[in-house]
Amino acid sequence: MSFGGLHTNHRAIIAVAVIVFFVLTLVMAILPALREQAFSGPPTTTPRDEVTARGRQVYMREGCGFCHTQFVRDLPVDRPFGRASRPGDYVLEDPPMLGTQRTGPDLADVGTRQPSEAWHLIHLYDPRAVVPQSVMPAYRWYFVEKLQAGPDDVVAPVPAGSAPPGKVIVAGPDARALVRYLLSLKQAKVSP
Amino acid sequence: MRDPGLTAAPTVDHATVRVTFEYVAWATVWLLVGTTIGLIASIKLHWPEFLPFAPLSFGRIRPAHTNLVLLGWGSLALVGLALYVVSRTSRVPLWSPRLARIALWLWNLTLLFGLVTLMAGVNRGPQEYREWVWPLAVMLSAAVLIDGYVAYRTVAARTLTEVYVSNWYILGGFCYLPILYVTSYLPFYQGGLGNTVVQGYYMHNAMGMWFTQLSLGVSYYAIPRLLGRPIYSYALGVLGFWTNLLFYPLIGAHHFIFSPVPWWLQSTAILFSVGMMVPVWAGTGNLLLTFKGASGALHRSYALPFIVTGLIGYALSSTQGTIEAFRTANIYLHFTNFTVGHSHLAMYGFITFIAWGAVYGLVPRLTGREPSPLAVGVHFWLALVGVLTYVIAISTAGILQGLAWVAGQSFIVSVIAAEPMWLWRTIGGLLMIGSHVVFAVNVWAMRPYPVTVPVSSPDPVRMPA
Repeated sequence: MSFGGLHTNHRAIIAVAVIVFFVLTLVMAILPALREQAFSGPPTTTPRDEVTARGRQVYMREGCGFCHTQFVRDLPVDRPFGRASRPGDYVLEDPPMLGTQRTGPDLADVGTRQPSEAWHLIHLYDPRAVVPQSVMPAYRWYFVEKLQAGPDDVVAPVPAGSAPPGKVIVAGPDARALVRYLLSLKQAKVSP
Repeated sequence: MRDPGLTAAPTVDHATVRVTFEYVAWATVWLLVGTTIGLIASIKLHWPEFLPFAPLSFGRIRPAHTNLVLLGWGSLALVGLALYVVSRTSRVPLWSPRLARIALWLWNLTLLFGLVTLMAGVNRGPQEYREWVWPLAVMLSAAVLIDGYVAYRTVAARTLTEVYVSNWYILGGFCYLPILYVTSYLPFYQGGLGNTVVQGYYMHNAMGMWFTQLSLGVSYYAIPRLLGRPIYSYALGVLGFWTNLLFYPLIGAHHFIFSPVPWWLQSTAILFSVGMMVPVWAGTGNLLLTFKGASGALHRSYALPFIVTGLIGYALSSTQGTIEAFRTANIYLHFTNFTVGHSHLAMYGFITFIAWGAVYGLVPRLTGREPSPLAVGVHFWLALVGVLTYVIAISTAGILQGLAWVAGQSFIVSVIAAEPMWLWRTIGGLLMIGSHVVFAVNVWAMRPYPVTVPVSSPDPVRMPA
């Protein structure tokens, strides 16, 4: 049996396989990616200030994107999370964090849905203080326990029982930046 | 047709034996580390205050788990076995076991740095299986290229005219992975949604163009060798090779159905997800038909049950993947834990079981030492019951999540619905880890003798003369 002589020629097998895979890579990944990169519509997000950008770094460091998408499908089931995502939403994102799992809710428009800084600070310090059935990790390492808050401190107003008795919970710079980032996640209005 | 799987020389050079065993042994270490981390992650979903330390937080250990089991366990075990298969089917000693050993240490170093950096929160964001920083990607690519070169030189030095079908798959895998990996890290086309297009291509092809390639390559040697009969159809094996190459790279975008990535890309992906049924069933059918009339061997061998389970896992997980690609299924199942069940059915039910079967089938032939059949049986049943519990629980969790969302209920309802299933997933995971400990003991029992001795094959199935 012969397969065009290929079965006796290891170089030919490799050459054909590599060329085919490379061409398919070009057609299915690199060229469509270049086209998406060249998206010329207006960005539907605004550039971030330094603190918000730092907050996004914290979001990436903690792997928030493994449980929270930032990608709303044009489906009734996704309506609670906002309007359908558009290419313009991701133009300024490096990397865009569409995600593949929703163990927690989508966050593409969380700044609109939950605009309270205090809520987010409590939620990051002790998620179960605001959502009893939540399974989100508590990010206590971004907070400091103090006996008394200083004049410039941002206090997380956690309910009694969440914090050690007699202590106040002060948000560290990373917690403040992360909350600023979450509050910045607002889908811009677009004409349909 | 003459089948190198059957006519391989009875003795193996000691250097090839040692390096193959070292790959398998290190793979086992990473299996234990990677799945322990996976278990911790699983426990955290029903006990969120378990081990509340930053380096062990869910978002950090999730990529540590996936990368260690994919690149540590699965890849190292299959590379070690593939190097042995390449040498056997070419009927020459492995070209430069020394270089293969250098590559192994490069893998190990990359995995160690990867583990430490991911737990320290140093990553490139939630870009699945390409989370760690680029210097580690360079190291890993170098290791794969070295291994691939060793395999290539061995096949080039073969004493047979034909290139046995195993080596098509193995050399293919070694060629595809570096292209895939480099494409996924180069930044020039990854602005905006360009990144997402590449993500779909990468995360999907990592499975079909690497793990599937090496697993099938090893299976096309191990099955005829263990059964003592030639493969059912050489032509079907070659058909599977080419159709996999033609269809698989087209279907990555099915991870982003209903997303703003181009609609034609999504539709092509769905279409060829159906096309994948050709290589999948050609491959499974071909390998399973090799067993026709030899079911007695299945009872006597402790390696073959793993391989048969793996082949069934291949067919099931691939068919499931095709169904999940449809837009209707996407509405109900995408973003849910059903995806996690699918990936474990594929990586564990298929890849891991094939790797175990090949280790138990081939390693005693090279080292001359066998594990206790009872311990192998315990390993098999713990792993099988464990993964079934895991996959059924987490798939049920996914369906419950999807139903809660479609019913338009508050989001937390989907969390409450899934939580009992998350506990069952942990129970399945515990059984799986138990099986890994038994496997580690068995690997130790199969270790090579310290000095060169002529090895006689302790065949579970007697070879025809």
